[in-house]
Amino acid sequence: MLQDNLLTILILLPTVGALALIGHGLFWKRENDYRWIALLFSVITFALSLLLLTRVGENSDAAFRFEQKTLWIGAIGSYYHLGVDGMSLWLVILTTLLVPVSILSSWNSIKKRALSFYVFMLILESAMIGVFVSLDLLIFYLFFEASLVPMFFMIGIWGGERRIYAATKFFIYTAVGSLLMLVGIIALYYIHQQQAGAGTFDYLTLLDALKSGRVVITESSAFWIFLAFAFAFCIKVPLWPLHTWLPDAHTEAPTAGSVILAGVLLKMGTYGLLRFNLGLMPEMARRFAPYFVVLAIIGIIYGALVAMVQPDVKRLVAYSSVSHMGFVVLGIFSFTEQGMQGALYQMLNHGVSTGALFLLVGMIYDRRHTRQISDFGGLATPMPWFSTFFVIASLSSIGLPFLNGFVGEFLILLGTWLSTGFSYNWVATMIAATGVIWAAVYMLWMLQRVVFGRIRHGENARLSDLNAREVGLLIPLLILMLVMGVYPRPFLSRSRESVVAVQQRVTKSTGAAGSFSVEVQENKQR
Amino acid sequence: MNFFAVALQAGTSPDINFPLILPEMIVCGVAVLVMFLDAFMRRSQRWVTGGLSLLGLAAGAAATIWLWTRGAGSLGTFNGMIVLDEIRLSFTLVVIFVSALTVLLSVVWVEGEHLPAGEFHSLLLFATSGMMLMASGGDLVIIFLGLEILSIATYVMCGFRRTDLRSNESSLKYFILGSFSSAFLLYGIALVYGATATVRGSGVVAGTTNIAQIGERVMAGDIMYPALLFAGAAFMLVGFGFKIATAPFHVWTPDVYEGAPTPVTAFMAAGPKAAGFASFLRVFIFGFPFVGAVASASSATNVHDAWLHALAILAIITMSVGNVAAIVQNNVKRMLAYSSIAHAGYALVGFVAAGAATDATQRADALAAVAFYMLTYAVMNLGAFAVVTLIARQNDRRTEVEDYNGIGFRAPALSFTLSIFLLSLLGMPLTAGFIGKVAVFASALNVGSSAPAASSLYTILVVIGVLNTAISAYYYLRLIIVMFFRERTTEWAVPRIPASMALVLVITILGVFYLGLFPGRVLDAFKRKPASGAVTQIAR
Repeated sequence: MLQDNLLTILILLPTVGALALIGHGLFWKRENDYRWIALLFSVITFALSLLLLTRVGENSDAAFRFEQKTLWIGAIGSYYHLGVDGMSLWLVILTTLLVPVSILSSWNSIKKRALSFYVFMLILESAMIGVFVSLDLLIFYLFFEASLVPMFFMIGIWGGERRIYAATKFFIYTAVGSLLMLVGIIALYYIHQQQAGAGTFDYLTLLDALKSGRVVITESSAFWIFLAFAFAFCIKVPLWPLHTWLPDAHTEAPTAGSVILAGVLLKMGTYGLLRFNLGLMPEMARRFAPYFVVLAIIGIIYGALVAMVQPDVKRLVAYSSVSHMGFVVLGIFSFTEQGMQGALYQMLNHGVSTGALFLLVGMIYDRRHTRQISDFGGLATPMPWFSTFFVIASLSSIGLPFLNGFVGEFLILLGTWLSTGFSYNWVATMIAATGVIWAAVYMLWMLQRVVFGRIRHGENARLSDLNAREVGLLIPLLILMLVMGVYPRPFLSRSRESVVAVQQRVTKSTGAAGSFSVEVQENKQR
Repeated sequence: MNFFAVALQAGTSPDINFPLILPEMIVCGVAVLVMFLDAFMRRSQRWVTGGLSLLGLAAGAAATIWLWTRGAGSLGTFNGMIVLDEIRLSFTLVVIFVSALTVLLSVVWVEGEHLPAGEFHSLLLFATSGMMLMASGGDLVIIFLGLEILSIATYVMCGFRRTDLRSNESSLKYFILGSFSSAFLLYGIALVYGATATVRGSGVVAGTTNIAQIGERVMAGDIMYPALLFAGAAFMLVGFGFKIATAPFHVWTPDVYEGAPTPVTAFMAAGPKAAGFASFLRVFIFGFPFVGAVASASSATNVHDAWLHALAILAIITMSVGNVAAIVQNNVKRMLAYSSIAHAGYALVGFVAAGAATDATQRADALAAVAFYMLTYAVMNLGAFAVVTLIARQNDRRTEVEDYNGIGFRAPALSFTLSIFLLSLLGMPLTAGFIGKVAVFASALNVGSSAPAASSLYTILVVIGVLNTAISAYYYLRLIIVMFFRERTTEWAVPRIPASMALVLVITILGVFYLGLFPGRVLDAFKRKPASGAVTQIAR
């Protein structure tokens, strides 16, 4: 019973929590209870999400588990179809982990309108889980769009100085992309209707029809539909040059918002690329791969260089996201098992380490009400706990061996080196690899100016170190960094078959652009 | 209904079928009753007239549903002047719904403004019966009659706040421009009548204003003056375009909507627009139908292509003008006026799809999509205007965007409901607006995927529609931003929400989510053809 409806429960539970919060707020109005209720619901959701591991075991095949399918709108032909496979499994768990962590991080910093804050947070959690488990394109779109609204409010109400600008920019940027994707989704529906009789938004039905050749998307349609999907996802990732909303949104958002934004919302883009662009239109993916690789590499270098010169720690971390997400896109479009597994792994890494960095930045902001690097220095003396955590999180973000970042980046670079999807892959690998060096430069330089050295400002000497709550919420992330860096097997072995299925689909499929696949085969033999 | 049946059997006219116009008769009768009550009661009793109006509208809706489920067999009686099809029934329900909510919106408001409630309610009911006639007219003359009944009532309602100059301006402007557009429509009707004259045997058969007959003659190429038919269709396009406020015939809209009392604005943006769409759809889709392979050299048959392309261009202009102009508005009512223009543009996309559909299923889907769009628009628009009415207070004093500064957490219930309506107008998923947009855009892409030629036209139409949605995000969000992200600097008392208003808000909020989450039933119902059955047999 529980297992069969697990995904629905995961989606609904946070919303139920939000409704409970509203009810509590209407009748009791006890400010201090809100965070506890929110925490309770998010922790239960996290615990339940761990049940997903029971059916998606190690070395499990690519099939979807916990599937649920009921007709939603008969007139439109849309199903409420959910399922989890190795690719979405960890993203769901990442989501359910980061939400209680960010609720804990807002414990004392969100005083103003706390009720609405936690309500939005829980609604956002529902939407995010929904994105990763939907197997119906319309439902996917629905959750994808729905996640915008609570985040818009979170940035706008609890954000920093330029929050209105950042919130509007965030909303409109992402809405433009996803609306075009909606056109693509509807177009797919009618392509299926024309060739197979009945239209469908169902991902698995579409995939089946495309695989078996019952439905063939003509090259010109595939071109535009691929671009429509890719546009939506690349804005979300964000791929250079569509990244300009990110630094503003990340910097202005409250700490919890930044953590969720970087930790989960960005992954919706890369997840979408993997699942829909590569899965549904592999020929186009091959055709566009060189462009994506170039943009991803520009993003890696550009993000790192811009991060280096930021005077604001939060903005620095934001730009480092552009660089890291560039790696993820590079891995996806390498079309090798290593690269794509690495991309998936890097999504999780980025969620954990960048999430931790935003949390830490939020913690010093709470104490000093500034994020300027020049206002800090020598924090190691008054705040040893903070400094330790900050250093470890930074090193994980850089990609130091034995920490999680290394595994992901190494796999991505290896995959790019082995890739046959585009020429000059070794050049791509070499340029992208410098991104790791740049990461070390901007991170270590920032660490040196913030954590080490002499105390330059008197008020820093009196800062209190992390309290038990703050340590407690960072510990899980820290453990994950170490475990994922040393023992990646439980993660990678679960996602392997699902990722390989997509990879096979891209490299082996023949279709409208059939000649291309021959070329790939030849490359392999060389 | 036995009374009618007996009366009919004894009657001389063979083609009268009173049950077929039962809903219209009920609403009209209640309107007269309300007027009488108002005249003979000592002072205007808003609850009596309002309650009676609501009852009348409910009875009208029940009769409509009865017609739909029990059916009336033939497509029309009164010599084809009244038709019974799913367009009529779905649009009739939409306009009745709009009027009922407007009654609820207005009961407290009329009192607060010291206006005669009875007059207002009877005018509203007459307007409703006009709209219902527009939806049910199978003849250009009936449609024109319905339009005039509606228009004259609305001219008065716009100027209902007699002492307010803005209201007077609104009324006068609407009257002058509305009459002007009615003249266009009438001229078009006359031209079509002249054009459809045809030669049969040795003599000339006079033209016709019956839509079905016009359609038949156009299909057969049986038209004496094809050029006149083009001119007539063009004039009618302008006339209808005026009524549903498509750009470039929209210039009256912002001024009239801004000046009219807010409940009237809410009514005008949703009701007459839906009714206008009903008759616009019927006249063009069935009067100037797709001729297809039968197409002869006669240019009369090309009138379909001509209006279709004209309408596609109008849709693009309307969406773009509405959305871009809405961005720079500082008055909320004016902003919503431009937004209503934009929404007419989105609905036109579905209209174009219905016109271009090559088979009956596609057409039925597209028509249902437009009707559904009108319903969703009515729900969210009336909801939004209900909040605007509450915030505006007496004399529509607070309708500037500035007046919404920082009220978000002062009046959370009002602000969050308004935000939901705005997000629905924007077309966010989980709300009615999203499904409405998906339905019309999907019908256009559906037609495009099977159209013989120019399929990219429909894709372009949809892409422009979607980009316009993104533009509209800016001004809908602006209001949310002002409410929640800014702080209030001046004094502001939270408005009291009267029970009737609360009811409107509850109905519209539930409607927004119901249509957004479980739209299947309504979408299916709107596609359902009236069953053939009882009524005709009883009546004949």
